[in-house]
Formats: sequence, C-alpha cells, structure tokens
Amino acid sequence: MFNKLTLKLIGTLLASTMILSACGTNGNSNGAVKTNSEPAATESTSNAAVTNEAPTGKLKVQLVGDFSLEDKTDPVSGKTSKGVKVLKEEFEKQYPNTEVEFVLMGWDNYNEKTQTMLQSGAADVYQVPGIAALVEQGLLEPLQPYIDKDSYDLGSYLAGQVDGWKALGPDDQELQIYGLPFIGDARVIVYDRQLFDDWGLEYLSESPTIEEVLEKAAKMTGKNPKTGEQNYGLTFKGADAADTVMNINESLGGQWGNGFLWKDMKLDFDSKTMVQSMDLMKEVLKYAPEGIMAGQGAENFLTEKNNIAINLRESPGFINSLANFRLEDRYQAALLFKNQTTGMGGMFAGSPFAIGASSSNKDLAWEWLKFSGSEFFQQYMWEEQRSQSMPVIKAAEEWPSVQEIGQMDIILKQMSQLWTPRYPYRSGQPRYILSENVERVLLDELSAAEGMKKAQEEGTKWLADQQ
Amino acid sequence: MSNQMSKATPLGVLDQRMLRKRNKMLRRQPTLAWYLFLLPTLLGIAVFMIYPLAESLRLSFTKGADERFVGLQNYVSVLESGTFWYSVYNTLYITVFQLLIAIPLGFIIACLINNLRRGSNFFKVLFYLPNVTSIVAAATVFLALLHPDGPLNYVVQLLGFEKLVWLSQPLSARWGAIILSVWHWLGFVIIINLANLQAISSDYYEAASIDGASGFKQWLYITLPNMVGSLTVLFVIGWIGGLQRFSDAYMLGGLQGSPARSLHTVVGFIFERGFGGYEYGLASAASYILFFFILAFTYVNTKVTKMKI
Repeated sequence: MFNKLTLKLIGTLLASTMILSACGTNGNSNGAVKTNSEPAATESTSNAAVTNEAPTGKLKVQLVGDFSLEDKTDPVSGKTSKGVKVLKEEFEKQYPNTEVEFVLMGWDNYNEKTQTMLQSGAADVYQVPGIAALVEQGLLEPLQPYIDKDSYDLGSYLAGQVDGWKALGPDDQELQIYGLPFIGDARVIVYDRQLFDDWGLEYLSESPTIEEVLEKAAKMTGKNPKTGEQNYGLTFKGADAADTVMNINESLGGQWGNGFLWKDMKLDFDSKTMVQSMDLMKEVLKYAPEGIMAGQGAENFLTEKNNIAINLRESPGFINSLANFRLEDRYQAALLFKNQTTGMGGMFAGSPFAIGASSSNKDLAWEWLKFSGSEFFQQYMWEEQRSQSMPVIKAAEEWPSVQEIGQMDIILKQMSQLWTPRYPYRSGQPRYILSENVERVLLDELSAAEGMKKAQEEGTKWLADQQ
Repeated sequence: MSNQMSKATPLGVLDQRMLRKRNKMLRRQPTLAWYLFLLPTLLGIAVFMIYPLAESLRLSFTKGADERFVGLQNYVSVLESGTFWYSVYNTLYITVFQLLIAIPLGFIIACLINNLRRGSNFFKVLFYLPNVTSIVAAATVFLALLHPDGPLNYVVQLLGFEKLVWLSQPLSARWGAIILSVWHWLGFVIIINLANLQAISSDYYEAASIDGASGFKQWLYITLPNMVGSLTVLFVIGWIGGLQRFSDAYMLGGLQGSPARSLHTVVGFIFERGFGGYEYGLASAASYILFFFILAFTYVNTKVTKMKI
C-alpha cells in the first residue's frame, strides 16, 4: 500500500512528534515545577537580587477583562472612558527609561491562557484571580521579600484585601503573599425601596439576618397593594445558589471546612448548619419568580419596571445600572449575611496583580504592583473602569466621587468583611459537587440532609483521590 | 531477437538495471516535488494535530501540577464517575431525539420542497438559515424563546396546556435543548436530502407513471431506496456531532449543565474537569474515552447502515 518514502515520512513525523511531546513535557514541568520545588529559603535567596537602584527596561503587564488601550465609549451610558494607556503614560513618567506593554485578554479561558503565558514567560505582571492554583505550581513570585525591602505599607489597603489573595506555594507551611489587590469586588444584598414603600414595610437593616430577609420577602410576595401587579419578595442568581447557602451557613456559625491544599482539606458540607441553611434556601425559593434557577424572571431588577423586592446577591457593578437609568435613589444595598461573633460574611472576590516567577524584570514588576495600589491607579480604575472594578484602598472612602454614591458605603464595608482567603474548595471539583447537590435539593430531588450528605461524600471521595 | 541477446549478456543486464533505475528516478522526481509542496501542510498536521493528540494521551496518564504518572487511574476515575455516566445519558438522550425528529422531518420537508413548482428557492433559504446561524447566537435566542413568559409557552398555553418553566426542570430543559438542536440542524438535513432528491433520474418516475404507479408507490419504491445513502450519511454525521455536543447545552445550562446537571454533556464534563478544576489528566482521559465512544458508534452505525466509507 505505502511506498518506502511514505513510510519514511510517516516515521519521521511520528519521531518528531514524540520528540516534540517529550520537549513539551520537560518544558512544561520544568519551567513550572522546578521553580516550585526550590525550597523557600532559595526563593528568598533569589530575591536577594532585589536591588535599590531605579529599575529600567521593558515591562509586560497582562490584564484580563474589558480593558482597552485606547479610549472607548460605553454603548449604554454613552460615556467615554480612558484606555489603560493612561496607566502606561503615568508609570513611564514616574519611572524614566522604562516602557510598559500591555497584553489584554478577555475573561474567556483566562486561566489556561494565563498559565500558558506564565510557563512561557510571556509577561512580567499578571492579573490572577485564580491565584491559588498558580502559586501551588510555583509559577508566581513570593512578594514578602519585596514588601520587606521597601517597608511597603499594606495598611493602605481595605481590611482583608491583602489577606484574601494569600496562597500556599509548594514549599510553604503558611499562607504567603503572592499577589496584591488592584480590583475590588464583592456581593451585596440590594433591595428596591419603592416596593418596600408600596408594601408599607421598613427597609432592610444595614446587616440583615436571613430571618429578617425571609420575613419581609414573604410579606412582599403577591399582588402589590399599590400597583396591583405581581411582586416577588426575593431573587438570587441561580448559578450562585451554593454560594448563598454557604453565606447563610457561615452567618449561622458554620464553616465550609478547613485546610488550603487538597491534601490537607476537610469539608463540612453535611454539618447541621449547612442542612439548616439548605432548608432556609428552599424557603427563599418560595418567594422568587419561576425560572429563577435558570437565571430567568428577574430581568427587570434594577430597572423602572422592577417587581422583585430583594436581590440576595448582586455585584457592585449595579451602581452603574442605577446611574444609567437614573435610579440611584430607588435601590439601596445591605451587607451579606454576617456571622455576629466574627463580623465576617461573604466570599472573597476581585483580582490581584502578581509577578511571574519566569519574569526577567521582577524589580520593575514590583514597582508596577506598588503603582497599582497608588491613589492615581485606583482613582483611574474608579473613574474609568467602574463597571469592572471597585477601589481596594482605604483612601477611597474619602474621595468625594465615592461619597456621593449612597451605596458605596455598604460596598466598601462589605469588601472589608469578606471571609479570607478565597474559599479554597472552589478551585476544584468540590465546588461543582456542592452546586449540583444544592440544585438537586432546590428541585426537590433530594431532601436538604440527603443532598448535603451526598455532597460531603462525593467531595470527600474526590479529595481522597487527590492524595 | 537483439533484445533477447542483450538480456543474455552481462552488459545487457547491467543496461537494463540502469535503465530501470533511471526510469524509477524520473518517476520519483515529480512525486518528491509533490511531497515538498505538501511539507508545510504535513508539518502543520504534525504540530497542530499529532502533537496535541500525543500530548493529550501522555497527560491522560498523569495527575496534578507536577504531572506524576498514575497509569490508568484517570481512565478508571472517569469510568467510575456517576457524573460522567449521567453526562453520557444526557448526550445520548438529546442526540437520539434530535436524530429521530430532524432526519424524518427534514426528509419530508425536502420532499415537499422538491415537489414545489414555484418558490422552492425561498423555502430552501428559509430552512437553511438557522444552520448558518452560530449555535451560540441561536442558543441566546432560545433562552428568550424558552423563557417562562416567552413565545413557546404562549403557544403551549394556546394549545390548552399549562406553561412550562423550560430551563428550570431537568426533563423540560433537555427537551429545550432538543428543540434547539433540531431547529438548528434541520436546514442541513433538508439541503442534503434535496441534493439527493434532485439527483434521482426522472426516467424512473416517468416509467413508473406509465406503469400506473401511484404517487405514494413512486415515493416508496423509487424515492426511498434512492435516498438511503443520504439518510445514512446524515445518521452517521448526526451521531458524531451529537456525541460532541457542547455549545448549545453550555449556553442553556451553563458550565454545570444546570438544572441538576440535566444539560451536562460528555464534552461539558471534559470542559469542567479540565478548565474548571485544572484536572487536565482526567479531562484528557475523558477525551480519549469519548474518542473511542465515537469510534465505536461510527463503526456500529456504518455496519448497521451498510455504509461504505
């Protein structure tokens, strides 16, 4: 069938494939893991190269999200926002003989893209919301030596914002700083004051309990006494139901479990408070529109036509919607359910900047990280990138532009009460196992106790497989 | 005579060998040139197809960030996973009904269009339009169609039934995906069937008419047997595409195939484990299992349908 030449060609191709494959293996793991397997002491030694001379050279900064280099106009608000070239120009002004180049990417598959970039050393500074998995592979530079060298003041950040991004490197015994926050994020409870007025109810307290929310939601589900239209007491994001259950659980004194790395992790999905929270979540469902589990039925929330009183889980970007529709006075925010003893509540969110272990200009990268915590940088993010970023520094509380937005007080408070670090179980399969079983309970396929037991068993089995 | 003589002498044998060698080289020269032209493509195939396949196979035997060798553990984990088998069930469920509805329906519509004297081009375009639309865009539109207060429920209520919260219950969510996939694929089925219908010689029909065969008999004894090839191709292609289903289910049910994983497909399983939790080894193993599924299904399908490849 095949002549000799064809066979030779196929042979050569297969051989080169195997060689390529072998190169890929080494390239991948060596670049990533070799650096990892360096002991912590060696990492510190390598950082002894941290110098006090003004760094120069080219800096590549990767950014994930809706960023653009040039100015652009929002199609909804019609407002033009300045591109990230503003940051480039300012940094280059502050650090002469440097040049900043951005690598901008969207949110789609950002984890894989970032990992590939880190392994190939494609940038110096990375935006890494999925920091834990990257640190575990030794792909990011520990920042403590840089912080010590400059006596960098971490107190300028909002409470918990630095702690939230702490992670464990392959040789770390305790959580370490590998990233500094630059994009703030949180979830808050948002409610429609007009509907509360229609029903003659008092607004939610600043830090409501689940019982308070349920009681008011129950009263506001039905025909609106003023307009006669169907009202619903509550809504939440169906896909995030498990996060709301966890928030309720922690407010009741429970916890998700403990540990940071898979090998040390213990889940507590079937605790008494988790089952109780699950039952409360089923109660929540009674006052929500049909279709809420599929993310349908709450499309009018934050608009003039809204018919839902309370949203249990809204991102801070809602202030932009309010500004667009001139509804700033109608909607108010409240803190997520909080544990009264610890004063904490809510899942940590946002984005930090980190330095790639493969970066060739780490000193300059560190200067960028400090720059990202400056008032100039944070004010730029607040003024020009508000749809995707909340300030992470305490100074923001004093900015007039922040103070004039009524809901910002709650958003900044919420950002300071988040549980830190990020829930580590969400980096892998336990997250999906919990979500699936929460959905099954909400669909009445399982009872709360059965669902949580199943989640615990499946999650524990998965963790055991990771040993 | 002289030829026979030259064969007999050693010199003659040598001449013949040289001649054969020369002829062989001359024949080989254009072949070599073709391989030279093919080289960029072959390199592309090696780098972008064979290498990723080999790398994925290697990864399927490893685990964790340090890529430690675990043998067949990932394959065992996938095959023992209840979620995986549920995703197989979902994939098969949606695909079986998609094929059962789209192929006969497409064939009937194609026959109707083929018999039209006027306006057939309009209908061809009309039915083919959904297939031109990106499945992501189509699924986005279907999110509105399947809304509790959407147009589909309006029709359901007009027919006297209670409205459904389509995407909130596992069974109705799966049927939502089936309706979307049938709608999207129907145009393709119609076009393939039409192409075949138009290729059937009109002589057969004329002869049958002369013999007094009714329209139905002509359809049954002429049209149908001549359509077996196209229907078989559609059946095999449909299976392969169905087993690879991802975008439509992902758009309707999100990463986890909500509600309660009812829209979680095999490729969704691979995506979640690979990109949702960095389990590249396990995801690669699941990819190879899917590959063998498709191979087995295609083999059985070609045997059952006696398709020649």
